Amino acid sequence: MSTLNLLVAVCITYVLFLFFVAFAADRLALQGKKAWLRSPLIYTLSLSIYCTAWTFYGAVGSAARNGFEYLTIYLGPTLVMISWWWLLRKLIRIGRTQKITSIADLISSRYGKSSLLAAGVTILAVIGTTPYIALQLQSVTLSFSVFAAQSDGLAAQDQAQLAFWLSMGLALFTVLFGTRNLDAKERHDGVVMAIAVEAVVKLIALLSVGIFVVWGVSGGLSEALNRIDASEFGEWHTDRSRWAGLIFLSAAAFLCLPRTFQVLVVENDDESHLRTASWAFPLYLCLISLFVVPIAVVGLDIMPDGSNPDLFVLTVPLALGENGLAMLSFLGGFSSATSMVIVAAIALSTMVSNHIVMPIWLQLRPRGASVSGDVRAAVLLARRLSIVGVVMLGYLYFRLSSGGEALASIGLVAFCGLAQVLPAMLGGMFWRGATRMGAFAGLTAGFAIWLYTLYLPSFGVGTILPMAIIDNGLFGLEWLKPNALFGIAGLDQLMHALLWSMLFNVVAFAGVSLITFPSPLERLQAAQFVNIFERSANARSWSGGTAQAEELMVMAQRILGAGEAQALFQRHARRQGTRGDLPAPTPDFLEALERELGSSVGAATAHAMVGQITGGMAISVEDLMAVADETAQMLEYSARLKEQSEELSRTALELRNANQKLTRLSIQKDAFLSQISHELRTPMTSIRAFSEILRDTDQMNPEDQSRYASIIHDEAQRLTRLLDDLLDLSVVENGQVNLNLREGTLRDALDRAVSSAAIGEDGVQLKIERDAAKEEILLHTDLDRLSQVFINLIANARKYCDAKAPKLVIRVMQDADRVVIDFQDNGSGIAPDAVDMIFEKFARVSDQKAGGAGLGLAICRQVMTRLGGSVDYVPASRGANFRVVLPYRTALAAQ
Amino acid sequence: MTRATDRPGSPTVFHERRTYRKRRVMDAARVTPVLALILWIIPMIWPQEGDGSVSSATALIYIFFVWAGIILLTWGLSRLLADVPDESSDSET
Repeated sequence: MSTLNLLVAVCITYVLFLFFVAFAADRLALQGKKAWLRSPLIYTLSLSIYCTAWTFYGAVGSAARNGFEYLTIYLGPTLVMISWWWLLRKLIRIGRTQKITSIADLISSRYGKSSLLAAGVTILAVIGTTPYIALQLQSVTLSFSVFAAQSDGLAAQDQAQLAFWLSMGLALFTVLFGTRNLDAKERHDGVVMAIAVEAVVKLIALLSVGIFVVWGVSGGLSEALNRIDASEFGEWHTDRSRWAGLIFLSAAAFLCLPRTFQVLVVENDDESHLRTASWAFPLYLCLISLFVVPIAVVGLDIMPDGSNPDLFVLTVPLALGENGLAMLSFLGGFSSATSMVIVAAIALSTMVSNHIVMPIWLQLRPRGASVSGDVRAAVLLARRLSIVGVVMLGYLYFRLSSGGEALASIGLVAFCGLAQVLPAMLGGMFWRGATRMGAFAGLTAGFAIWLYTLYLPSFGVGTILPMAIIDNGLFGLEWLKPNALFGIAGLDQLMHALLWSMLFNVVAFAGVSLITFPSPLERLQAAQFVNIFERSANARSWSGGTAQAEELMVMAQRILGAGEAQALFQRHARRQGTRGDLPAPTPDFLEALERELGSSVGAATAHAMVGQITGGMAISVEDLMAVADETAQMLEYSARLKEQSEELSRTALELRNANQKLTRLSIQKDAFLSQISHELRTPMTSIRAFSEILRDTDQMNPEDQSRYASIIHDEAQRLTRLLDDLLDLSVVENGQVNLNLREGTLRDALDRAVSSAAIGEDGVQLKIERDAAKEEILLHTDLDRLSQVFINLIANARKYCDAKAPKLVIRVMQDADRVVIDFQDNGSGIAPDAVDMIFEKFARVSDQKAGGAGLGLAICRQVMTRLGGSVDYVPASRGANFRVVLPYRTALAAQ
Repeated sequence: MTRATDRPGSPTVFHERRTYRKRRVMDAARVTPVLALILWIIPMIWPQEGDGSVSSATALIYIFFVWAGIILLTWGLSRLLADVPDESSDSET
C-alpha cells in the first residue's frame, strides 16, 4: 500500500471520526447534556478557528522568510483577548442581546437595520474569504503532494480532483451539521465540538513536531537557541512598520473575520466563558507559535535549497524518516484547513442567505412574508445553497490562481480587506454619533482603496490591473499609482494599502458621521449598543396597532417551524395573561418575536417581515397611547361626574321649586277649604234660616213668602253652580268628557261667550274690542266647550279687571299651524309670583272679589288640553293677557 | 444590573474598601492590553544592526516571557473579576 493510499485512508478515517464527533455532540445536545459541551474549555478551543492551515504551515514559512514577523499574527489576537473586559465582553453582550447572527448583522443592526450595509459587509466578507478558502484547499493539496512526491508524485489533474472532492466533502459536512437548525443563534454543538477536537489535534501535531525538532534534532533547549542564533536569523531584524502594522492588522482581523466572529460572538453560550478564554486562548496562541522558529531554523538547515518553507512542518519529519510524526503533522494541517472551511462556510452562508438571498427573495415575492409558501424551507435552502456556493467559490479561486502566491500573503490580503469593517464596528460600539451614512462612507472608501492597492494587484501584475495603471497610475495620474498613492513610494505594499485604506476609512467614517443626522431607529440602536450594560435589553419598540396575532403566527410558523413558533406564542400569551394561544401584539411581544425571527433570517429581514404585517410603524407609541388613554379616561370620568353633579343640582332646584309650589298650593288649598266651607256655609245658613222662617211663621204675607223663597232659590242655585263647577272639573280632568264635535266659526263661539259673560249680575258692562273679520275662521271642534273657555276668560276679565273703565281686547291671529286668540284687559295684570298658580285648582289670585271657587281657569286648561290646544298666561306690557291656542288642524279640518 | 456604586458618575463619592478594590481590578483589566502592547512594541526600537543588536534567541525569549507574564496577569485578573456582580445575563427569556 503506497503512502498516498495510506494518506487517503487516514484522511477518510479522520473525517469519519469528525462526523462521529459532531453527530455525537448534536445527539448529546438534543438529550440536554450540554454541560460539558458548553464548557469554557470548548469555547476557548473553538476560538482556535483563527489558526488555519495558513498558521499551521504558513507560520513556519513566514518565519523562514521574514524572521519574527510571523509572531505579529498571534500577538494581535492576544491583545484582543486580553482586552476582554472592555471590548469583548461588550461585543458578546451586544451579540447576545441583539441576537446578532454575523458581523454583517452586527453592522446592519447597529446602523438602523440597514439592509444595504449588511449586503455591503457580506460582499466584502465573501470577497475577503474566498481566497482564504482557496488557501486551505491549496495547503491540503500541497501537503498531499509532499507525500505523493515520495512515491510517484501527484499530477496537477489529481490535485484539482483532490481539491474538488475535499471541498465537496467539506460542503456536505457543513450542510449536515451547520444547518440542522435554522436558528443561527442556537449553537452548532456538533460543529463546535468538531472544531474543538481539531484544535487539539493541530496543537498536538505542531507541539509534537516542535518537541521533536528541539529535543530530537537539536538536542535540547539551549542547543536549539544556539542554533537559532547561529542561523540566518542571527540578529533581531524586522521591518518596523510591518511589525506594528501586522499586530494591528491581525487584531482587527480577529475581530472582523466572519469565522472568528462566528465562534467568538455567535456561538458563545455563556458570557462567563470569556473569562477563561481571556487567558486560555492567548496561552493556546503562545503554544502554537512557540516552536515555529526552531522548526524553521532546522528546516532551513537540513532541507535542500529551494524547498518550500511553507511545508517544513511536514517535510522536516519526513526528511528525518519520522513518518508517523509526519502523518500527525499532516493531520494537524488537514484539521486546520477543514475547520476553517467549515466555519467560514457557516458564517458566510448565514450572511449571504440573510442579507442577500432572503431580501431579494422577499422583494421578488408579490405580497411579502405572509403569502403561502414555506419561508423556513426557503431560508434553509438558501443557507445550504450558500454553503455550497461559498465552498465552490473557494474551489474556483483555487483553480484559477493555482499555486502562484506564497500562502501567507493571500491571508494578509484577506485580513486587510476584512479589517475595513473595524472602524464601523468599534465606532458603532463606543460612539453614539456614528451614523449609517458614516459607516457606509468609511466602508466604501476603505474597500475601494483596498481593492485598488492590494486586492487587484495581488492577482499578479498585469492580470486584472493592466501594467499601464501600475506603472503610470489610474488615468495616467502619477499620484494614483496603486503602490504609491499620493506619490509616497517605498512603503511595503501591504502596509501602504493598510495605511491608506484605514486612514480614508476612518476619516470618511468619522467625517460623514459628524455631518449627517441619524434616523430615530439608528439613534435608538446607537444608545442600545453603546450603553449595553446600562440598559435592559430592548431593541426597538413596535407599535402593534394593526398587527394581527394570527398573521404573525402564520409567519413565525413558516420561519421558526410550527412547534417552536407555537411554544413562543404560548409563552408570551401566558406572560401577558391572555387566554388562548395568541398573545396580543404588544410592543414587547413584537420585539421578542422580531429578535427570534432575526436569529433565523437576520435583523433587517425580520424587521422587514414584522414591518410588513404590522404596517411598518417603527415608533413606539403604545406606552404614550396607554398614558393618553388613561388621561382621557380620567378626563371623561371627571366630565361625567361634573355632568352628574350639574344634573343633581338641576334636579335639586326643580325639587325645591316643586316643593315651594306644593307649599304654596297647600297654603292655597287650606285657604280655599276655609273659603269653600265659608262659601258653602253662607248660602246653607241663609237657606236654613229662611226655610225655617217659612216653616215657622204662620201668617206671612205672600210678598215676604215669595221673597224668602226666591232667596232660598238663589242660594240653592249658587250652591248648585259651585257643585257643578267642581263636578265639571273632575269630569274633564278624568277624561270622561265626551266631546261634541261640530262645525262652526270662531266668531259664533266668541259671540256666544261675549253675550253671556260681558254683562255681570251686578250689571257692570265690560267694554270689548273685537275684529270680526279676523274671526271668520271655520272650526271643527266642540264649540260649547270652547265657548265655556271663552266665557270663563271674559268673566274673569270682567271680575278682576281693576281699571276704571274696564276693557278687553280680543285679538285673533293665525299662523302656519295654529290659531291664537289673545284676551288682554287693561287692568294691572297678575302678580308674577302668582302666575304659575292661576291654572291650579282652587287657586284664586286675590280674595277681593270672591266670585268663584277658583276652578275656572283649571277647567279651562283641562278643556283646552282635551281640545288639543292650550291656554296660557302671557306676560304683556300692561294688563292680564291670556292666550288660547288652537291647533290649526282643528281649523283646517273644517275648511 | 449594575449596582449604583459601581457605575461611574454615581452620586456616591467614596466606596467601601471592597468596592474600591474591585474597581481598581477592573482598571487593571482595562490597562493590561496597553501594557502588553507597549512591551511588544519595544522590539521596534531595538537596534537592528551593528553593536548592541539583540540576538534572535534573546528576542524570542523576551517576547515569550512577556507573553507568559501577560497570560498569568490576565488569568489572575479574570479570577479576581469572577465574582463581580454581572449585569442581568439574559433578560429576554
